[in-house]
Amino acid sequence: MSVRVARRYTFPAAHRLHSTQLSDAENRAMYGKCNNPLGHGHNYEVVVVVKGPVDAVTGRAVDLARLDQLAEEQFLKPFRYRDLNREMAVIPTTENLAVEIETRLRAAWPAGFPALDKIRILETERNICEVGHEL
Amino acid sequence: MIISKKIEFAASHICRSPRLSDAENERTYGLAANPQGHGHNYVVEVAIQGEPDPVTGMILDLKKLKDVMEERILSVYDHRLLNREVDTFAEAVPTVENIAIDIWNRMEGLVAPGRLFSVRVHETSELYAEYRGETE
Repeated sequence: MSVRVARRYTFPAAHRLHSTQLSDAENRAMYGKCNNPLGHGHNYEVVVVVKGPVDAVTGRAVDLARLDQLAEEQFLKPFRYRDLNREMAVIPTTENLAVEIETRLRAAWPAGFPALDKIRILETERNICEVGHEL
Repeated sequence: MIISKKIEFAASHICRSPRLSDAENERTYGLAANPQGHGHNYVVEVAIQGEPDPVTGMILDLKKLKDVMEERILSVYDHRLLNREVDTFAEAVPTVENIAIDIWNRMEGLVAPGRLFSVRVHETSELYAEYRGETE
């Protein structure tokens, strides 16, 4: 009997969408305003969803303080007020950022912690990307 | 197809387990362990799975659903101290996880011809729990 628990985190960061494998004209066509050579930024929202059984004593499915600590270490501290182009090896699209955060969390996921179900990233109110097992 | 209906209630709770020491309670629940209690504006989303009726175009009667949610959720939870006034929490700690399970149990079987798909309870804008029944 599992419950999903979702925790929302936010961080501001800068990025520029530009592929070295495309021409300047192609980059502008592909990414539009996001291709501005000087970059721009967003207030990113990251929702981390975990899934696990509810502990009979505590009534909790996840240790929220531990989850917050994991989020702080794995993506908030690295990305908060940073330029994502410098912090990531790939183009910092919402899609790639979601995969990057998922990879970082999975690599540091503590043994015995409830399963990481999915990650949802809101770049803006209208640009939302999800990665995970079950969408 | 899934249809989801939202309802809000305000309630207070204390997150402390009599089976844990004071130090363990404070470590487990943080600020929510305050013995004096505190409260939230909870938002509940009840999602129902089914197919739209060919005549009405609806999965179920939404007015009836509203009445059921008011009777099964609001009348039990709204403006209450959950630890003392909702019988489930005489024993269990009223965490957002347990609230989601309890609301599922109160709503189950009452959304025909649809089927209860999930109950999502938002405790703050930063935390919600979702329960999809015992099969998961």
